Amino acid sequence: MDTPFIEHMTTTQSLPVPLVIDQSWLENLESRLDKGGPWGDWRLFQLAVQGEESRLVTSFDELLCVKYIQDLTPLPHQIDTARKVLFEMSGRAILADEVGLGKTIEAGLILKEYIIRGLVSKVLILVPASLVLQWVRELNSKFGILAVAQKKAYSWSSDIVVASIDTAKRDPHKDILLDQEYDMLIIDEAHKLKNKKTSNYQFIQKLRKKYCLLLTATPVQNDLGELFNLITLLKPGQLGKQGEFSSNFVVDKRIAKNEGQLKDELSKVMIRNRRGEGPTIFTKRTVRNVNLQLSPEEQALYDGVTSYVKDQYQAAGGNLSSMLSLVTLQREVCSSRDAVFVTLVNLTKKMAEDSPQRAKIWDLVYMIKEIKANTKAEKTIELIREMNEKVIVFTEYRATQEYLLQYFRANDISCVPYRGGMNRGKKDWMMDLFRGRVQVMIATEAGGEGINLQFCHNMINFDLPWNPMRVEQRIGRIHRLGQKNDVKIYNLSTTGTIEEHILNLLHEKINMFEMVIGGLDVILERFEKKGSLEKSLYKIVLESQSDEEIRQKVNSLGQSLDEVKRQVEDEVVREEEA
Amino acid sequence: MNMSADQVQQHVMTYLEVTECQIIEKSPFHVTVKLSPQADKQLTNRPYYWGFVERTGVDPETLSYTFVFDPERYTVVDVPPAPVPEGTPQDSILSRYFGVAPVVPRIGPGRIQREDVNYGSRRLQQIWDVARQEGSYVYLFEQPGDLQRRALFSAAYEPWLAVCFKVEMTCDVKKEQLHFMGISLLTGVITDDFRELLVGKNLSPRLPENVHINPAELSITKAAEHLQSHLTSMLSQLDYTWADQAQERLKDELTIIDAYYENMMNDPEEEKNDLIREQYDRRRSEMTWQYEPKVNVSAITCGLFHLRPIQ
Repeated sequence: MDTPFIEHMTTTQSLPVPLVIDQSWLENLESRLDKGGPWGDWRLFQLAVQGEESRLVTSFDELLCVKYIQDLTPLPHQIDTARKVLFEMSGRAILADEVGLGKTIEAGLILKEYIIRGLVSKVLILVPASLVLQWVRELNSKFGILAVAQKKAYSWSSDIVVASIDTAKRDPHKDILLDQEYDMLIIDEAHKLKNKKTSNYQFIQKLRKKYCLLLTATPVQNDLGELFNLITLLKPGQLGKQGEFSSNFVVDKRIAKNEGQLKDELSKVMIRNRRGEGPTIFTKRTVRNVNLQLSPEEQALYDGVTSYVKDQYQAAGGNLSSMLSLVTLQREVCSSRDAVFVTLVNLTKKMAEDSPQRAKIWDLVYMIKEIKANTKAEKTIELIREMNEKVIVFTEYRATQEYLLQYFRANDISCVPYRGGMNRGKKDWMMDLFRGRVQVMIATEAGGEGINLQFCHNMINFDLPWNPMRVEQRIGRIHRLGQKNDVKIYNLSTTGTIEEHILNLLHEKINMFEMVIGGLDVILERFEKKGSLEKSLYKIVLESQSDEEIRQKVNSLGQSLDEVKRQVEDEVVREEEA
Repeated sequence: MNMSADQVQQHVMTYLEVTECQIIEKSPFHVTVKLSPQADKQLTNRPYYWGFVERTGVDPETLSYTFVFDPERYTVVDVPPAPVPEGTPQDSILSRYFGVAPVVPRIGPGRIQREDVNYGSRRLQQIWDVARQEGSYVYLFEQPGDLQRRALFSAAYEPWLAVCFKVEMTCDVKKEQLHFMGISLLTGVITDDFRELLVGKNLSPRLPENVHINPAELSITKAAEHLQSHLTSMLSQLDYTWADQAQERLKDELTIIDAYYENMMNDPEEEKNDLIREQYDRRRSEMTWQYEPKVNVSAITCGLFHLRPIQ
């Protein structure tokens, strides 16, 4: 090397932008000339050039990523969103689609495009701990993006890391991350960053990033100030200063003024696709409630358990928290004798040898012995035979699940179990079997990750959770993107039991089975600021003296839920009109 | 740019041939291949295995693959069963103890892994990357025709330096160009499309008989300088509206930031001010990083080509 090379050409032909020429090729070539090699193969030389030509980014604004993705066909709104974020919003945006429209897919498309274009290589993805593995799997399988889940401190050195925000903000990880520069930062469930005083918020604010995506399904509904904070993470000042924002846009914290203008400003940083827009991508839901009469033996057990629970509650002096498991007993009778039996046995284990309670429980166990058939199970088989299609049966109780497995198999119906305790491999295996020749899946768990059963469109709620979100999660397993048929939901309920009241509340009062997906979490979040719905129900059941009293109290609970629901719907309508 | 299954197959086949892999079976839709040690090292990411082979001197067992280019038309039925590795005992321990042995999927040597390869696959990207690593620097001679070989006088060849430059125009978006250009070390003549010069020529790494090379008038360093300044002047002719627009976007963003932070740093508490100033500076530098337009030039491949002079 004799002359130093010019890094910035400052001649007359100089460019209007900084030009950097990488000179390393010349050094390498000269060193090879000195040593007489090694020289490459001419065919590989040509292949390298052809390869480079084949993946050359020839245009500033053509979406390339779709050609690189094989196992996924993105929906039109997802492609539009990706294009808009990439080419109009310069890669900083809030993806706020309503639940179920595929925000993760949109984020994956955007990330893939930046990687292909060579604009992004170092990526940090922060998600709730329970979603880390799901993200890693999806990025790998759907997008061919080699992401790793953060496990140890050395994981951070990988190019694309998925981690939980709670881990990331702690020592020793925090300092490692703050020393990095990330080409892209993605945060899932970003509405959790609404409060700027939290350590999570302050940590995110300190991260150095070029492009940034915040994913959330519920950005606006509950507080405009929270939305302001979210946008400040992304683009401080986009909505003006804090004070200006309040005086320009906020009447009450939930009510915006100058909505048109706010909407314009928001559209520069946020994309919100709605289910109602564009072609319908969700099929219909139909709900059928199947009311059953308990057999005399079952009814006797139910009555026995109910009076036992009442006695205990009174004896405990109305202490609610210790009594919750007793209400479970009542619910279990409505499910299967097996479920009650297991709970009763567990109860006696906790009692002293000479406790007078033991006798009472033994009485109940004798009643169980009298029961020879399960009314609901018989009806379920009838329904399954009638529809003669794949169906998923949900129950709350492990014992019921075992019983149904054995009962269905005895009746020549092929079925597999699915529960939260299974490891990933077993879960996948069960899903594969169900996708294959097995007709029925009996599941105790609907939440968590990865149960996508679009190939099945029938669902039987053998019993109902008292938390409406869990009901929604159950339905969400089959009623999701990719479902081609209308979804049929069967709710089994036994007349004259607490089940009847719950179904009445969920179906008649808040009409949740037919509600559009995604609305429920907003309504519940707001309702439950006053206390958990599930707890209120337990309280009603324990404190009421008569069936009629339960009915009245559940009714009034339903009314206040309905009010919140209307409120939210009004806001949505105004948001749309704005 | 997109590639048909045929083109993908061509690229993969070129690589497999150059690395002397053993083709077991081939159809228009797939190829089944036992990798050569060279290809195995480059493609399978097994550094520990190859370290072991080199230290112990055992015979390496390379992996086999079925690369499928057209999954829709490729049917598995045509594929012969994977060859049984020699020396496998016919009755396993399990079957001796239990009468029957469960069928275990075969792993390790002898198993043929199926992989679909198309435009977006990582495998194809990897092959291109390996090709670039291995083939970036060449030193080649044009093969003369029969006539020249039998000619009385040796032919004088002209040395060329050729470089395939990649130009990356980057702001918050990006566009690229390739320029494969060459310069004669004899005359200093520059050609913008060096590949055109090579059309119809056979190239070989060995100096052919009855050929001699004219001594270079230009040093490599000087030639490189000429090429790069020629490229720069070509680049200066381009349209830079994109850069102006990016500058405009950057300016807008900075205005918003400045306005937002303007009065926030007047806090009576110095410490608070520092924190906010830090935030403000970070945000400004992020903006510049994201939007500022620049052009980067690097070389994909380069080499010395000795060609018959243009008549």
